[in-house]
Amino acid sequence: MSNAFPYEISEHEIYRYLGYRGQIPDQVVLERIRVCLRQLQEQVHPQAIWKYYDIQWIDTASFNVEGSVIHSRQLSKNINGCKEICLFAATLGPEPDRLIQKAEISAISDAVLFQAISAAMIESYCNAMNQRIREEMSAQGKYLRPRFSPGYGDFALDYQRMIGQFLQMSKTIGITLTDSLLMMPSKSVTAVIGISEENNQCTMEGCEVCNRSDSCLYQRIK
Amino acid sequence: MRKDLRQRMKEDWIFCDGGFGTLLQAKGLKGGELPETWNLTHPDDIRDIYCRYLQAGSTIFNANTFGANRLKYPDNLEEIVNSGVSLALEARVSCGREDDAYVALDLGPTGKLLEPLGDLPFEEAVSIFKEVISIGVNAGVDLIFIETMSDSYEAKAAVLAAKETCDLPIFITTIFDEKGKLLTGGTVASTVTMLEGLRVDALGVNCGLGPAQMLPIIKELTSIATIPVIVNPNAGLPRNENGATVFDVGPEEFAAYMEEIADLGVHILGGCCGTTPEHIQALIQHVKPHNIVNLDNSYVCRISSYCEALTIGESPLIIGERINPTGKKIFKQALRDQNYEYILSEGLRQEESGAHILDVNVGLPEIDEPSMMEEVVTRLQSITSLPLQIDTTDAEALERGLRYYNGKALINSVNGKQESMDTVFPLVQKYGGAVVALALDEDGIPETSDGRIAIAKKIYQEAAKYGIPAEDIIVDGLAMTISSDTNSANVTLDTIRRIRDELHGHSILGVSNISFGLPHREIINSFFYTMAMQNGLSLAIINPGNEPMMRAYYSFLALTNQDPQCGSYINRYADVPADQISSGNSGKSTATTGAQLSLTDSIIKGMQESAVCAVTEELKTQDPLVLINDVMIPALDVVGKGFEKGTMFLPQLLMSAEAAKAAFEVIKQSMSGQKQESKGKVILATVKGDIHDIGKNIVKVLLDNYGFDVIDLGKDVPPEVIVDTAIEQNVEVVGLSALMTTTVVSMEETIALLKVKKPGTKTVVGGAVMTQEYADSIGADCYAKDAMATVKYANSILCPDSV
Repeated sequence: MSNAFPYEISEHEIYRYLGYRGQIPDQVVLERIRVCLRQLQEQVHPQAIWKYYDIQWIDTASFNVEGSVIHSRQLSKNINGCKEICLFAATLGPEPDRLIQKAEISAISDAVLFQAISAAMIESYCNAMNQRIREEMSAQGKYLRPRFSPGYGDFALDYQRMIGQFLQMSKTIGITLTDSLLMMPSKSVTAVIGISEENNQCTMEGCEVCNRSDSCLYQRIK
Repeated sequence: MRKDLRQRMKEDWIFCDGGFGTLLQAKGLKGGELPETWNLTHPDDIRDIYCRYLQAGSTIFNANTFGANRLKYPDNLEEIVNSGVSLALEARVSCGREDDAYVALDLGPTGKLLEPLGDLPFEEAVSIFKEVISIGVNAGVDLIFIETMSDSYEAKAAVLAAKETCDLPIFITTIFDEKGKLLTGGTVASTVTMLEGLRVDALGVNCGLGPAQMLPIIKELTSIATIPVIVNPNAGLPRNENGATVFDVGPEEFAAYMEEIADLGVHILGGCCGTTPEHIQALIQHVKPHNIVNLDNSYVCRISSYCEALTIGESPLIIGERINPTGKKIFKQALRDQNYEYILSEGLRQEESGAHILDVNVGLPEIDEPSMMEEVVTRLQSITSLPLQIDTTDAEALERGLRYYNGKALINSVNGKQESMDTVFPLVQKYGGAVVALALDEDGIPETSDGRIAIAKKIYQEAAKYGIPAEDIIVDGLAMTISSDTNSANVTLDTIRRIRDELHGHSILGVSNISFGLPHREIINSFFYTMAMQNGLSLAIINPGNEPMMRAYYSFLALTNQDPQCGSYINRYADVPADQISSGNSGKSTATTGAQLSLTDSIIKGMQESAVCAVTEELKTQDPLVLINDVMIPALDVVGKGFEKGTMFLPQLLMSAEAAKAAFEVIKQSMSGQKQESKGKVILATVKGDIHDIGKNIVKVLLDNYGFDVIDLGKDVPPEVIVDTAIEQNVEVVGLSALMTTTVVSMEETIALLKVKKPGTKTVVGGAVMTQEYADSIGADCYAKDAMATVKYANSILCPDSV
């Protein structure tokens, strides 16, 4: 069997996205997960692009990248002290969306599984690419801050357009934006990664950065 | 005087230009800046780049209009395109190349994904391209160069826009990855098939890869293309160096590869990202001394979907006939109700059974067939990879089907009547397609094979007038029942044989027509099918769910050395128990054994097949309504309550829902005619701007099961549509879903509009970003944290007694 997706996928992330909150699904569900996962692994074709940019700080909540200004208190805090950033975009391509659409007609339970598994897959793919970036930077004696995406905290979704333009992401890896700033294919991620000359591991990542974590069904359980 | 480009490209090398963006960046273009603005702000730099390519020897050079469209330049598109083109015209004069260089309108992708995967309607894409093309044509370009396309559907929109705006030559190149795929899944063969069908002047590849990585793709391309091929590679694969993108293949190395590529039969050559005037100059020096190699591939009949091409005439192929209302009560009702789910699931079932092509016939006197055809084709092609056969007698429905089809379709059908050919062939000429040609004409159906062959020849001749090759005509030998004329099968089979032997053409039959009026028709049908294949039948329109037909097909392939190691036959039948074979039941899949579960347990455990068996058994002794109310609903409640308590989870909830749904279908059939009671109507919609509708679809499945009449308006639904539907159909409960904060705005608008136009309507909202507070703040009556919560709410409003 061909496997176009050689990255390790966390089973527990899949269960979490399905709402299992720390429990393990029964055998019937596990078997379906296995079948859907195999299908995704064979068909998904992940791609990523990233580029590095110098930034100039304007104040504590905004900075300049090649003439464009980004304003966000929380992002600025996250990359506080960095002189350089990496703009990052990754996608699983349109296959998960196709499989989900198809399953919505043939078996909605599979649609939910494809949805959860591909969410875990994009996460694992981003982590793998993040590791490559870490290695590229570590060769230069530099360190990474956690990925920070438009939509996190006060980092407005509108910056999707800017990241799209900088990375030419529709042309290079096929991520497009709808008028309402949704990314299509839906299993796509964009992010800003701070690059620091000091190894001061920074504040927050994952669920902790979200202001809705108190009410969230899918929260990571430590 | 410049030679006509269409003439010139037949006999001479055509050299394109190289990278543009790379040179602009070297001149100082910033990361976030739109390159086409430089036409206005840095005209000298733009002119300079044009001149450098002209001096390098480019025959075709692109105006700086790649990203120019109204989405990116809502205010000054005309100015941007005009200046880009007029600078090019000036450069051509100043470089003394007026006699032999051609200015191309460079047309890149819109940057948006087309519906249904994205939110850009196909017709909107056509209109965006048309606008740019008409500005460019007025400004004086010599050709339209569509490039860097990574989605076949968008490529089709661009080509149609060009064809509908001007008569200039159309060149088009797409980006393939190293596996030979477009970003949206197309292959080399599917892309070539669609574009040749659309009758572009030249097609090929650009960007994405360097010349070395492109070689296998170019080999495939030059082995099938029958029109000139364009190759514009990058200067190798991009590499990141200290934040800058760099390309490693220098001019000499690039030119050496291009020499090899030219010898494969490519004579339109240039470069893309990372290539410079030096690359182009070296390329020309290397290639020009060679003689051009013209491709001599013979034309083969292919049809395509967005991701695969099928060759007709090699091995026999099966066209699934089930998407057709003829004689099907439920299907007719589905068309009237716009129940797409039912229609689409017929398609998926046939794909699973082994169909290679799906016939789409949605004709019913009382419906708007053209709109229905557009809708079904669009939806079907987003969930199946099989090519479609557009089956209609309505010219407008045919055009709509072909226009919105993402590929080269099969058309059913034309016949020997002049009127039919006058209607169908112009559409084939415009949109491409292979056509089923019925061997009948004004004088009716000939009773002899001589008569049918004569009509076939007439149709070939008429098609040729439109430039439609005989290979794209598939002659229907006309199967007619042997119950009224016992010689009719002989005539049909002889016609099929002669199409193969004398006309060297392709044939098709609606196989089951042979047995009308006879008992146990599948016996006759499957034997006739085998005989027809033996006589050279290329395509059979059959029901792939009919096992005897599939047995005939798989056996025929195995017996005629068309199934290597009998692999397909073994794969299909090795595990089927003997009693199923002798009972003539379906092939694989139903081979489930083990203890029978009760209906209740089947639903709770989410076992579909077992639920169907159990309900069939129960129906022998039980009243359908009692089964629903006393067995199935309580079983669903067990799961629903478990879900609420957190002891059962979403996948189980849905598997149970599916098992119940399958059981409901059986019950429905048993009580056909009897009106089922509905608990009331509920509208569901994913609001405008939002195109993720899985959450809404989950809610729909559950509401269906609980007996509500769900009006599913789909995704990206404007507030007015929701409100109008609520008023027209007098709906009391409206469920709205939104995924993002950016689209909750539409939700709020919808609720506000409902309050004005249909006060008293209850709204229930859900979606990833929704909370109780959020729901309150936009004025919703209920916040549903999950699918069961919506069911509960609908129950509390529409049937308060049940709660």
